[in-house]
This record gives sequence, C-alpha cells and structure tokens, in this order.
Amino acid sequence: MNAADTNRVLHRLFLTLFFRGRSSRGLKKQTPVVSIATKLRVILILYAALGLSVAVLWRQSIFVLSSYLHALTFMFVGMSIATSAGEMLFNDEEADILLHRPVPERALLWTKVSVLLRVSLWLAVAFNLTGFVVGTISPQGSVWFPVAHAASTSLEALFCAGMTVLAYELCLRWLGRERLEGLLTTVQVILSVSIVLGSQILPRLMSNLTQMHLDLHGWLLYVLPPAWFAGFDDAWAGTHTTLSLALAAVSVVATGVVMWLAFGVLADDYGTGLQLMNEAAPRPRSLAGRARLAGGRTLDKLVALPPLSWWLRDPVERASFLLSLAYLTRDRDCKLRVYPGLAPYLIAPAGIFLHRGGVDVTYFLAFAGSFLAQGTMLLLHMLRVSQDWAATDVFRLAPIAGPAPLCNGARKATLVLFAVPLAVVAAVAVWLDHGDPGRLVLLLPGVIAMPVISWIPCRKGLAVPLSSPPTGGPRAARSGLSYMGIMLGTLVLVFASVMVWQAGWLGWFLAVELVVAVILVMLMRWQAQAARWPVID
Amino acid sequence: MGSQSDPVIVLDRLTKRFGSQVAVDALSFSVPSGQIVGFLGPNGAGKTTTLRMLTGILQPTTGTARVCGLDLQSDALESKRRIGFVPESGAVFESLTGLEYLEMVAALYGIPAKAARERIEQFIAFFDLSFDTLVSKLLGAYSKGMRRKVVITAALLHNPAVVLFDEPLDGLDANAAVGFKTLIQTLAREGKTILYSSHILDVVERVCDRVIIIDKGRLLLDGAPEELVATHQAGTLENLFTQLTGGAELQRRAEDFAKTFLP
Repeated sequence: MNAADTNRVLHRLFLTLFFRGRSSRGLKKQTPVVSIATKLRVILILYAALGLSVAVLWRQSIFVLSSYLHALTFMFVGMSIATSAGEMLFNDEEADILLHRPVPERALLWTKVSVLLRVSLWLAVAFNLTGFVVGTISPQGSVWFPVAHAASTSLEALFCAGMTVLAYELCLRWLGRERLEGLLTTVQVILSVSIVLGSQILPRLMSNLTQMHLDLHGWLLYVLPPAWFAGFDDAWAGTHTTLSLALAAVSVVATGVVMWLAFGVLADDYGTGLQLMNEAAPRPRSLAGRARLAGGRTLDKLVALPPLSWWLRDPVERASFLLSLAYLTRDRDCKLRVYPGLAPYLIAPAGIFLHRGGVDVTYFLAFAGSFLAQGTMLLLHMLRVSQDWAATDVFRLAPIAGPAPLCNGARKATLVLFAVPLAVVAAVAVWLDHGDPGRLVLLLPGVIAMPVISWIPCRKGLAVPLSSPPTGGPRAARSGLSYMGIMLGTLVLVFASVMVWQAGWLGWFLAVELVVAVILVMLMRWQAQAARWPVID
Repeated sequence: MGSQSDPVIVLDRLTKRFGSQVAVDALSFSVPSGQIVGFLGPNGAGKTTTLRMLTGILQPTTGTARVCGLDLQSDALESKRRIGFVPESGAVFESLTGLEYLEMVAALYGIPAKAARERIEQFIAFFDLSFDTLVSKLLGAYSKGMRRKVVITAALLHNPAVVLFDEPLDGLDANAAVGFKTLIQTLAREGKTILYSSHILDVVERVCDRVIIIDKGRLLLDGAPEELVATHQAGTLENLFTQLTGGAELQRRAEDFAKTFLP
C-alpha cells in the first residue's frame, strides 16, 4: 500500500470522526447512522443561514462589514476546530487502534491537519456567502470585495487551525506527559472561551463605530485577530488607508508565522506526543505530594469548615457537592462541555469594563444579575450529562429515598463554582470602573431569582449530577425549551428592574420579588423532597 | 514463513522505564513459528507494556525486539504489517459502524475492497455476527462481546504471521470463547505465531504449547505447561502461578480479611 492510499484512508476516517464526534457512547441503540455527507450539508446550510445576519450591515463600510464577518467566522470556525482538535490530535485510545498498524506517525498528523483545514474552509465559506454578496453590491461595497474577502477568510481559517495545532504542540514541547492530559483540556477550554469572548466583544465595540475613526478603545480592537483580517479586506477593497494596510500586513505575517511554527518547526514533536499519551505509568509522587494527599484535598478541608460545613450538613448532599465539583474541575468531557457554554455569561462583566457610564452599564448590571440565574440553571443542565452516566446507578442502589439531596448538592456546587464568582467579578467591575456602588443594587433582582431558578430542575429530581448520557432527542429538546422560557423570564426581569430603578421604586420591587422567591423556593423544595427516582428511559 | 524452529519473535534485553519505574526489565525470549505461547504474570508485571512494545505502540528504553526477522524500530512499518494485535482495551472508533471500521482497517493494510469484504463476511459468519448490525449501527452501540469480536476480526483481517492477544476472551460468551480457542489452535497449525496474555489460567493450560511467566518486568519461568507443573510439583498451572507470584500470601490475607470484616 503506497503513502497516497494510506493518506486517503486516514483522511476519510478523520473526516468521519470530525463530523460524527469522538464517541457514540451513551447514544440510544436505535439511533440511525447519518452519513457524513448529510451531516456536512446540514451544517453548511446552518452556517449559511447564520451568515444571513450580515444583511443588517448593508450601509456600513467595508471595514465594519468585514470585522463583523471575521469576528463571527473566528468564533464559529475557531470553536468548531478547538472543540474537535483535542480529541482529533491526541486521542488516547488511538494508540490501541492505529499505532500498531502500518501507518507513519507523520501521515497521521498531516491527514488530521488537512481535515481540520478543509473543514474550517468549508464552514468559513458557508458562513460568508451572504457577506460576499453584501460586500459587493452594498452602497459602500466593491467589486473587489469577494476576492479580497475570500483570501482573508482563507487566511483566517488557516490562522485558526494553525493556532489550535500550535497550542497543543507547545504544550507537548514544554511540559512532560504527566500533566499533558489535564493541560490539553485546559488549553482547549481556554481556546474555546477566548474565541467566544473575542468574537462577542468585537461586535460590541463596533457598536460605537461608524467609520475607521477608532478613537474609542481602538487599541483593543487592533489586537483582536478578526480586525487584522478586516484590515486585509479594507486594504484591498475599501479605503486603502495606512492603518488598514498595516492590519493586512499583520494578518499575513501572523498567519505565516503560525503556520510555519505549527506545521514546520514543531511538527516532529507530534509522534513523540502520541507515544507520551500511552506511557500510562505514573511517576512516583514527591514527598510533598504524598503529604498533601495524606492531609486530604483542600476542597475536603473547606467543606469540613464553616460556612460550608453548616450549609452542607446532609452527608448525601455533601457527597453530591464534592462529586459535582470534582467533575467540574477534573473531567475532560465535563470541562469541555461546561466552560465554553458558560463563556457568553462573562460578556456582562466584560461589558461593564468596556463601557464608560450611561444607560449601557445599567443594563449590563441588570443583565449580569439575570445571567447569574440563567447560568446556574444551564450549568445544572450541563452537569447532569456525563459519559459516566451508567456509574450513577450507585445512587439508586444506595438507601436514599429520592434524588432530592443529590440534586441539591449539585445545585449548591453550581452556586459556589459559578454564581458567587460571577457576582463578585461583576461587583468588582463596577467598583473599579465606575466607583458607584449604588448601582450594584441592580444585580439584586438576578441574585434573588437565582435560587428560584436553580430549584426548577431539582423539583422533579431531574438534576442528579452526571446521570444522563450525552444524547439529543426529546429530553434535550425539553431542556432547551425550559431554558428558553427561563431566558425570556429573566429578560422581562431585567427590563422591569431597570424601569422601576429609574422610577425610584426598586426597593419595593425587590421586597415583592423576595417574598415571591421565598414562597416559590419553599414550594419547590417540598416538591423535590417528595420526588422519587425518575423512571429510566 | 520460516521453519518450525526459526524464531519469529525475538526479544533481546527489552527494557521499558517510565521515569524511575522499571516496567519491563531486560526481558529476553524467543518464539518459533507456529507456537502458541501463554504470556502470564500478575497485575502490573509488565505484560501489556511488553506487548505494546512488540507492536510498536511504545518505544523500548533499551534492548531490541524483532518480528519475522525485522527490527521493530528500524523496520517499523514492515514489521507492523506482519503483526495482528488484540488490545486489552478493545478500543475502536465508536463513531464508525462495524463495517466502516473493518473496511478502514483492511484499507490500511492495502487489502483490496472486494477481498476485504469477502474476508469480513467470513469472520461475520464465524463469529455469528449480524451483517445488518455491522452496517447500520455505530460501534458505540454494540455490546462488549460484539465489540470484542470486531476487534479480533480487525486483528486477523490481513492474515498476519504473528498475533498478539491481550485478554482476548474478555466479554465473549462461553460459545464464542470455545470457538475462539479452536480458531487460535487452527491458526497455529497453519504456522501463525501466537503470544497470548491472559489471567484465565485453565484456558492457557489447555491451549498453549508453552508459557512464559513474568513478574516485576522480569522473566520468572519459561517452558511447556505440563513440564513446569510437573517439575514444580504444583498440580495445576494456577497453583504454580500463585507459588511464583506471591498468590499464596494474597490468599492468606483474603482469608484474614474475610474473618475480620465479614464474620
């Protein structure tokens, strides 16, 4: 078998794995197999549909139009690559499947990179289809726009794929195998969160822009990669200013450097990396490490101390709390699902930093409060899903009357890990940037709503941590619908709280909300305690 | 294929260290063509690490290994073409159907599509697998036994000269296990060399021409099972194994534990 045949087989394999996902564990056994061509068609149509949103920028300059397109391309393509790359580049089961077969390790890397690049280009082109048309025929458009934008979008796709591969290769080069697995997950999470944040902040910054006069926080705009690629379009098909030429140069140089490092200089480390993934025997712990283990984990100690020991008196609740935190901080699948999903909720505190005064901050504060509630519920939903769902049979085997204490432990873990830190970050953001602590009261409607909303999935015992397989179907659709309902409800709460604050009645509003919240929490708590184990479907 | 006495697998002072921990310690042995060798040892003895070095998944720290006269490091691809490996993990790409997976594996060994399909159908018939299931369901939805059958098929599809089994019976039902034992005996009669790692000692005793017992990465014993049992007056291979690897002490501790905690 020649090298070309091997590459073709591997290419087909990794393309299939990219579109079908890492593993089908937990899927319903009757799930029909969907061809990757069908999946690809659906994904491309979805991306093309999302790209229709660019039509609202009909009257904007080439730079603004391009910045929007590149920011969202960066998010969608970057997210897609970052979430798949870890499993694709360093799948720890791959050694048992492929490394004992006659496949050169370098061929493995190149076919994976080729698939990543090809898919990112397909997705990028699909999303930008409408943009090509708008940039050509809009009032400030240019006939050169499609050519310029095609080139800059290709560069951006190469940049995304190259950055992702480079991040993994650097981890391999600088760190040994001992922390490789955990670190790869962390890199993947940081990449995903950065991509979501980077692409979300840019359009918000741009809401203040009408032309190329970037006097407001311009420096921040220029360090974001989408602005470089927008500069490329503007240099070719827009204003041709020195600034856009400089940004275009940065885009080309940065992409070149990333590609050179990722696919040239560091490519030889890949084979070593795959080998390292398989050297499973742990290094003996240091004396300090053994002493730490003997003394117990920090978290165990914290839970044994007030106020957590008072809050977690029920041993089952405490066990569920620790289990939830362990998965949220250690488990690769859990972290990759949860943190990128929660990233958009960091927009509100970031927005407080990025806007100075005015009604925007008022709304950002109110939204930050509502995000506390929404995020807590979303986190509970995500925490319920795990590849290890079958292991939760142990809960049903244990002498526990119903799932209430397990749900409550998970609920408290989400409050400790997500809601409290986010509330603190939002408060600090206001304190540092505006010095008007009085506005912090706008967080309170969300803070009061938070326990109510976090009890909703618990009331029927549906928030048992790690108990559901990662599957779609009716249950996921129901969760999605209830989450949409919560989003709408909190949106109403945001606008109502800002209106009553402006009218000077916020105190009365909070008092009424508090009373309603207490009643609802008591009712749901009672309902949760009466709930029995849900039937396994 | 060489004669019965030509060594097909040769390990020469093969060593693997993970940091300061020695997993395999200067292990040397050779296996001639057509022999079924039971590769035994307690948990953590270094069996799986040795098999993973023999398949090229792991690089040895020092020492060499040769398969069919080919050095595993300098002739990596050629030696891999001659090896079939059933890993203990039973790992497969769960997002592929069984047929997609087997066809992918066949293609990696350069087996033409038509020939591959014919071979796959022969294995399907042998293992009593449903072709519809193989075509229509992802491997992630297979039972453990079905998945194991697919992994064994994937190891034998390219008709390798050397087959390495790491706990191959895990997940197979009694009938499939009987069929599998007959299969490996037939393979050996046709000249295949088989290294068989397992904890099920009575199967090893019945199937293998020879056993190699290792502990802490070192060779403890090497010979025909009946000769070793007779020489050590152990009665059975299981008794011999427990004598050599500290199993008797474990048995005494288990009895003490049961008396103390489960009166």
